[in-house]
Amino acid sequence: MQILCLLTLTLGSVLHTFAQNEQNSKEVSQDFTPQQIEAFETNIRPLLVKHCYECHSQDSKSAKGGLLLDSRAGLLKGGDSGVAIIPGKPNDSLLISSVKYQSYEMPPDGKLTVKEIELLSQWITNGAPWPSSEGPKAAAAGQTINWEQAQQRHWAFQPVVHPELPAVTNKDWTRSAIDYFVLSKLDAHALAPAPEADRRTLIRRLYLDILGVQPSQEQVDRFVTSDAPDAYAELVDRLLSSPQYGEKWGRHWLDVARYNEGFGGFTDNGPNPHAWRYRDWVVRKLNADLPYNEFVRQQIAGDINGDVESSIGTGFLALGPTFRTDGGDPDSAAAAKSETLDDRVDTLTRGFMGLTVACARCHDHKFDPIPTLDYYSLAGIFNNSASVVSPISAQPIVDAFNQAQNEFNRLTNELKKANDEIKKAGDKATAEQKASRDQLQQQRDKAQTQIPTRFDEAHTLRDTGAGNMKVALRGDIRKPGPEAPRRFLRIVEGEDPPLYENGSGRKQLADSVASKENPLTVRVIANRLWMHHFGRPIVMSPSNFGTLGNTPSHPLLLDWLASELVANNWSLKRLHREILLSATYRQSSRFNDAHFAIDGDNKYLWRYSPRRLDVELWRDTIIQATGELDTRLGGPPQQDILRSNRRTVYASTSRNGDQFASDRFLKLFDFAAPRASIAKRTTTTVPTQFLFLLNSSFMVDRARNFHKRLSSYSQDPIAKIEYAYSLLYNRPPSAEEINIGVEFVTVTTNQSSDDKLDRWIQYCQALLSSNELMFIR
Amino acid sequence: MKKKSPTLDPSILGISRREMLGRFGAGFGTLGLQQMLSQQASATTDGASPLAPKAPHFAPRAKRIIQLFMPGGPSQVDTFDHKPLIEKYAGQRPELVDRKSLRNTKNGLMKSPFGFKQYGENGKWVSDIFPKVAEKVDDLCFIHSMHTDIPEHAGAILMFNLGHIQAVRPSLGSWLVYGLGAETDNLPGFVAMSPHAQARGKAANYSNSFLPGAYSGCYVNINSMHPDSIVSDLKNQYLTRGTQREQADLLAKLNQIDLRNQQEDAALESSIQAMEMAFRMQFAVPEAFDVTRETQRTLDMYGPTQYAKGCLLARRLVERGVRMVQLSLTIDGYDIAWDTGHGDIVGGHKRLADACDQGIAALLEDLKQRGMLEDTLVMWGGEFGRAPTSEGQKGRDHDHYGFTVWMAGGGVKPGYSYGATDEFGLTAVEDRVHVHDLHATLLHIMGLDHEQLTYRYSGRDFRLTDVHGNVVHDILA
Repeated sequence: MQILCLLTLTLGSVLHTFAQNEQNSKEVSQDFTPQQIEAFETNIRPLLVKHCYECHSQDSKSAKGGLLLDSRAGLLKGGDSGVAIIPGKPNDSLLISSVKYQSYEMPPDGKLTVKEIELLSQWITNGAPWPSSEGPKAAAAGQTINWEQAQQRHWAFQPVVHPELPAVTNKDWTRSAIDYFVLSKLDAHALAPAPEADRRTLIRRLYLDILGVQPSQEQVDRFVTSDAPDAYAELVDRLLSSPQYGEKWGRHWLDVARYNEGFGGFTDNGPNPHAWRYRDWVVRKLNADLPYNEFVRQQIAGDINGDVESSIGTGFLALGPTFRTDGGDPDSAAAAKSETLDDRVDTLTRGFMGLTVACARCHDHKFDPIPTLDYYSLAGIFNNSASVVSPISAQPIVDAFNQAQNEFNRLTNELKKANDEIKKAGDKATAEQKASRDQLQQQRDKAQTQIPTRFDEAHTLRDTGAGNMKVALRGDIRKPGPEAPRRFLRIVEGEDPPLYENGSGRKQLADSVASKENPLTVRVIANRLWMHHFGRPIVMSPSNFGTLGNTPSHPLLLDWLASELVANNWSLKRLHREILLSATYRQSSRFNDAHFAIDGDNKYLWRYSPRRLDVELWRDTIIQATGELDTRLGGPPQQDILRSNRRTVYASTSRNGDQFASDRFLKLFDFAAPRASIAKRTTTTVPTQFLFLLNSSFMVDRARNFHKRLSSYSQDPIAKIEYAYSLLYNRPPSAEEINIGVEFVTVTTNQSSDDKLDRWIQYCQALLSSNELMFIR
Repeated sequence: MKKKSPTLDPSILGISRREMLGRFGAGFGTLGLQQMLSQQASATTDGASPLAPKAPHFAPRAKRIIQLFMPGGPSQVDTFDHKPLIEKYAGQRPELVDRKSLRNTKNGLMKSPFGFKQYGENGKWVSDIFPKVAEKVDDLCFIHSMHTDIPEHAGAILMFNLGHIQAVRPSLGSWLVYGLGAETDNLPGFVAMSPHAQARGKAANYSNSFLPGAYSGCYVNINSMHPDSIVSDLKNQYLTRGTQREQADLLAKLNQIDLRNQQEDAALESSIQAMEMAFRMQFAVPEAFDVTRETQRTLDMYGPTQYAKGCLLARRLVERGVRMVQLSLTIDGYDIAWDTGHGDIVGGHKRLADACDQGIAALLEDLKQRGMLEDTLVMWGGEFGRAPTSEGQKGRDHDHYGFTVWMAGGGVKPGYSYGATDEFGLTAVEDRVHVHDLHATLLHIMGLDHEQLTYRYSGRDFRLTDVHGNVVHDILA
């Protein structure tokens, strides 16, 4: 949030314009004479600017006492201590008593002159004239937003409309409605789509994209040689029903959920030992194609209906930081609470809806129509929800464990008592006492062996109350302002949203977020899906659809995707399928000089964008090629993923990215530390990554194992090389590549007796380190 | 993406780059030149290394830059911008200093807790916390009239290091290496270092952004000076050097085949470059970073602090052809070290100055002794300064209206002071120099025209200075 707040500082001029436009239409203008206005501009405004605005204007860092003096509305509205002026009544106006140092002492660095005070009093006596053209700047401070207009003003707030297909030049190319939208943009920019990729490329692309692993050579051959007309569609369907789909796409969602196992550093350094239950829940739900609206609901309020399985979904929020104070200082405790709530509101609103609501924690959002009041409407919900560790095993299992544990505890206590008595008695302890003690000892030891394995637990939310929060003035919850009714954002639900009255309100919140009437939720997920399929989202700011976010490159396409999702019962797999079957997706990634010159970023999709694999996919394909990949689903995390054969999604990740060995490896290859919801990862290419390829024991061990696999296949060098290429790249090597390989493994003139790896292993390490294995094309 | 002009060896056109600039640059502007080169470039995929030295636009005054970056904002009136009038008006808030600060502090002027003495031929006043740098004032060229856009660290740090308040542009060092290449092929052209934490903004401060990956800065944590622990997996435990070279050649060959098959792909090219760099780094880095190869006399001259070791390393690196070193002063893992000035100028600034004073003075002396100061530009400064008024009891709030940087070597006037803040030191009032102007001047010193050093990205030519920047000719010798 700090970054965003900084942005608001620097874009002050934008804000100014925005706020003015916002307000001009709504000023209840009062008629003052030109002479009165002129007098104001000559005498009063300069005085206010000079003495007051440093602390009491929209441009000041924070409006002191919540008071804004840069609009008439602001003066009339007043601040924490009440209205600043009562037009016509200077002696009842707080402004006057303050400058006279009778109530407050303002301005604090020196009293105004008698003449200046007289001018101010006269001005109020005259009704506080102010030019009407700029009046209601204060309305941006949440007083009066015309919600209907605000919704109409920005594309993302407008309802999703199922668009008509646009006209295109070459209908023959299209396979899906998607292609019409893409082609019409290509047409408009004098671009044309690339030819369809060959089948080997397509099946490899589909495997990496949908499952995050490679196809086997047999799978490639079958697809390449199939003459079934729907071979491609069948392949897509088969892959979408594989459980590995959930592991691959679950990881994308875990980025949004800033999934972590805790260890956020000072004041938030506790572990989340059961975090992986949520990770597995995400994988399960995606595999089951739980409708996205329900997927959303369960992550917000899955605990409310008492269903254990859906309660695990609330890990989405429960795994966030819970800040504590170091010494219990009230200010520090208040700050810790504020920060914790900020995480929940931020993750909820950016993650599901692409809205930066947390920007409105200390002041009304400077760019989007999100008043502070609305922030606390949402924060109030989480103020009544605690992150807890709760059992997720069946009740009899929980009961059995608890009973056995209680019995053990009881016997342990009794045994202690017995021992104490014997000790106290010293020499006088009776044989009876000792026998009784020995018996207890036996009972206790037996009870210990009878304690079953502890039941399973997860981090979930639980309702703790049903009260509203008060707006925290300037973000300080020790300075309460007006009560913020728990309800949804007004920019989505309009002037008067229904109040949330059951418990914390999370159940109703879940319904509001996941409503098909909420244009943000459905557009945001459609955009995220598109981003991961193509490497580039339609809206370049996937977690900010607000005024400062990017506008969509293909707005109609985005709405088409969003409305299809809703129409198909929110099935993500149906949406994947629609995208994957499109001609747009099937394009080759071949370079095109002329098109590159027009659209170097491939914004309009004149080819499939080749790109670096995410670290998870890259590592998984390596250990898959070596035959080491463990394909079991789910389970506890791996603290050092490099010493494990599990898929990379099972790596331990800490909130700070510095707790586990896994963290260090992931970070080297662009994994983002999950401190906050991650919109998209960056890709860097740096020498230190290649030092890992050249020198790490991980790569050398993989090369050794890969060579074992080749050797068990054949002893013939050419056959081994061919096998290696099919395992790694799903293609035969060229004659040139065979020659290079054979020469490398046979010519050993420079090999030294100090070398600890033989030629074949060196060769295998090079193949595993190649660019071809690092890219999806 | 194509190989852009600077990655291309102009000899394929039968003319030098300088000639090309002369021939086409003036007539058609850089845009035409870039396009012409792009067309030529498509014919060659295996031209010279993108880091090969390139001719500058005109004769340079310096060949390399050592940036001594002071993140957090050192206070000018407690270091190099002596304002005796503050003491006279201490506690008061004259109109001149009654400007909004980040935290809106309303206090009066606060006298510097440090004494000042005069040094050098011109009697330059320097604070007692920099006694050793003070002895070098005759080599230093001060700009007292710096100003920047915003009083907030992250944005101002980015402005200082990449000319934009958001992390969306290449850094100064990346632009330099893009424009000039490096004079080493086994070390990165641009090295960023800090003890403990990185400066706020981290990789953005040395990022290549949209420039090709070869121009990225390489970050080294100097907290641990053992060569093997500077970069993880630096050392190969398995193969002798010759064998490993053969293996790397094999990988390069396979990647070249792949690149050929894929035609143009910038990501593949950066990947190949990065791999080659990694290979050479294995041997060059331990050597370059091994300060134990220095004489005891040299080690003593620099002194014991981490930052001083960074200074010594900086000298070793530029000596070996590194184009730019960005050495940031962080302390205790704090990424905006000088911001300790909020609460405590006395303790905070004194401690930071202690951490760097001797090392910096030694660096200047060392470069001079080796004859390197004349073509090495050393620059000291933070993203902004601090207000002469107080914050709390003994601190100072941010001041982006005016602050001081100094330079040494590299063809700037020695023993010179340029520009001035008002008589209390808050606002740059005389010969004001914006950060964009500083950047234009730095490029000029390196022989680059900031308006001609462009890179076409996403349909537009970008520059370090965007649409701003004026070279400050007055500070050039």
